[in-house]
Amino acid sequence: MKAIYNLIIKDLIRFLNDKPAVLLTFVVPMALIVIFGNIFGGSGPRGKVGIILVNESSTPVSRIIETKLDTAQSLRIIKKYLPDDGKDSLKFTEDIAKEYVRTGKISAAVVMPKDFFADTSGSLKFKFYYDPKNEIESSIIQGQMQQAIMSGVPRLMPVLMTRRAVNFIGSDSTTMFIKNISSLLEKYFDLSADSLMRSFTQVDTAALMDSSLQPDSSGGTQMLSSLIRFESEQLVGAQVANPGLTRTVGGWAMMFLLFSLTGAATSLFEEKQEGTLKRLLCMPLNRSHILWSKYIYTMLLGMVQLFVLFVFSWVLFKVDVFSNLFNLLIVIFASSAAAVSFGMLITSLAKTINQANGISTLVILVMSAIGGSWFPVTLLPEWMQTISRGTLTYWSVEAFLQVLWRQSNFAGIANHVAILLSIAFLINFYSLIRFKNGKVF
Amino acid sequence: MLNINRVDKSFGNLQALTNVSLKIEKGEFFGLLGPNGAGKTTLMNIIIGYFAADTGTVSVDSEMMTYENLTMRKKIGYVPQDISLYLELTAQQNLKIFGQLYDLEGASLNKKIDEVLDLVQLKERSGDRVKEFSGGMKRRLNLAASLLHDPQMLLCDEPTVGVDPQSRNAIFDMLNQLNRSGKTIVYTTHYMEEAERLCSRLAIIDHGRIIASGTLIELINLLNQKETLKIQKNAHTQNKIQALGKLGHLSETDFYYELLPNDSYLLHSKIFAEIETAGIPNQFVEISRASLEDVFLNITGRSLRD
Ligand SMILES: Nc1ncnc2c1ncn2[C@@H]1O[C@H](COP(=O)(O)OP(=O)(O)OP(=O)(O)O)[C@@H](O)[C@H]1O
Ligand SMILES: [Mg+2]
Repeated sequence: MKAIYNLIIKDLIRFLNDKPAVLLTFVVPMALIVIFGNIFGGSGPRGKVGIILVNESSTPVSRIIETKLDTAQSLRIIKKYLPDDGKDSLKFTEDIAKEYVRTGKISAAVVMPKDFFADTSGSLKFKFYYDPKNEIESSIIQGQMQQAIMSGVPRLMPVLMTRRAVNFIGSDSTTMFIKNISSLLEKYFDLSADSLMRSFTQVDTAALMDSSLQPDSSGGTQMLSSLIRFESEQLVGAQVANPGLTRTVGGWAMMFLLFSLTGAATSLFEEKQEGTLKRLLCMPLNRSHILWSKYIYTMLLGMVQLFVLFVFSWVLFKVDVFSNLFNLLIVIFASSAAAVSFGMLITSLAKTINQANGISTLVILVMSAIGGSWFPVTLLPEWMQTISRGTLTYWSVEAFLQVLWRQSNFAGIANHVAILLSIAFLINFYSLIRFKNGKVF
Repeated sequence: MLNINRVDKSFGNLQALTNVSLKIEKGEFFGLLGPNGAGKTTLMNIIIGYFAADTGTVSVDSEMMTYENLTMRKKIGYVPQDISLYLELTAQQNLKIFGQLYDLEGASLNKKIDEVLDLVQLKERSGDRVKEFSGGMKRRLNLAASLLHDPQMLLCDEPTVGVDPQSRNAIFDMLNQLNRSGKTIVYTTHYMEEAERLCSRLAIIDHGRIIASGTLIELINLLNQKETLKIQKNAHTQNKIQALGKLGHLSETDFYYELLPNDSYLLHSKIFAEIETAGIPNQFVEISRASLEDVFLNITGRSLRD
């Protein structure tokens, strides 16, 4: 027993002295729990899902719905845009909204068309353009739309139902039916038939504006939702053979790229430990030879890794990697450059291989979680989304989405690529300075 | 050929080298003898330009050795104290990689690889991974890897640690042969026997300072007393040995006591009288020639093995 106790103490002491191990055991999972908690636990405000609203209808009902959507808590309603040349922002039109969705600037657009509430139609007509680059986001938008409409306009229901009835059994019979019902109700409940008739046939605008009105019981909402017609059109990815994998492959690829390239970069530590680095440095070679060879080798490794991964997912799952190959290669190049710079930064900052492994695992997992490798960034609280724009992963994942999912041309990735390469350049610059004064060599 | 001039080096508070100056001529087999932590490896690192001295200079063939001077390094072969090989790769692959980095290629590289493998007697194992090698085999390969580019000068940092006597002799023969063929050799060790056997000239280093240098004879001549007494350690001698302490400096190894007598005991008769008085039987006493060990002892008051 004593022996076992002593051996346990030995393990404990060794563990506590191994800071990276402690980091990986406690800090990394904690960081991830914070991130997941923010997404699924609902602590703190969730980020709003952006959506374009185009209101071409001039009916009071559409105006009411517009104000309701404006105040919907999970949606960020966008109505204006800044044209490329102009200084003043303009109101979105349906065509421009569609273009925004198609190019990935926004996930969805809602249009209330001119015939939004045409007198004869039995329902409200919305047009819904979307890019299902992430399903969760799409369903949030649809749900929020419905909720906004329902909570705002419960009093629409009698009107809509009457109209349906008119369409269904004819105007005369409906009027007759309402008259009969109204007089029946008058007889038994001591109500004025006139006011009852009015509530069946008219929309009381003042009542609609009354925000204290809550949605009806679930039966009522269900009925109402059948009275609202979404004409949905998927603008992006409708032809994609394997939407699920196409959307996610870039994110996973980036995460593994970061791991493998950091491993390759930190192999400098292994070479140091093996003593081979010293032998190299005693040869007619200098530090910059070794450093550059490391950069170039790691870069090539990353590009080959990504390419093989994509081809593999094409072979097995028909992810279309070839129809936009040139742009894909550009993104592969930029992502590898960024990942190499990350690996070299870790190498230049760490003092030992253990430290490097600990730090890099923590940072890569956090970057993957908030940068969009695992789930869409838009699910995160707004403050986290702001941080995620500072990660390499975010720009790389977005760029892969552009080329694979949206089949975007170079203009669609130019920004992302420029940002990735600039980050890579800055980080490399910094780590080269660190290497000059650092301890690795 | 190699000129080390007033070199200082410190690591933080630790002064690893203090005012080290040495001149090594072409074709010499030069030994650097010193105990653990004396600064041997540090000096080697400065010579090869792995790191720079704080002050002082190193020049080879009157050209300064610096950090950036890459062509100079082609003239020098460096055998690091620690095994520095790619353990996952085979001996052949290792040599190929290092040879190529010295700009060797093709048939001449292959010929060179065969040659050095022959020299260190590892030809049969050339296709095996280094991590499967024994400690001594790794050492021999470590040495071979530094010979590929035919350096004019070879820096060997304790190349025989962990090598069995037979292989050690093979390494000695090899180094002697290289030396005869004109190569200058600088050899560090803490075994005085190695230094005595191999080196034509040597320096003794302790606590980062060169405390003596010269040929073996010159160094031994630093001692007045050219002989020492070795007394076997056993039940008959163990409890009587203290009485000899007043005769000179008494030290012990695993199997012997060693007495370096004071100047007042230069005569054998005087010493043996004392030994008899102490009751130590004659048959356990032997007179031996003074060694580098004694030189070290005489200068520092400590044994080399402490
Ligand atoms: N990179 C370093 N950082 C800090 N101290 C060092 C470093 N290298 C050597 N030292 C110190 O300098 C002193 C001399 O070390 P060095 O390795 O030169 O000794 P050595 O003579 O080669 O010893 P050994 O026979 O054990 O190999 C030692 O006290 C050692 O701790
Ligand atoms: Mg040493």
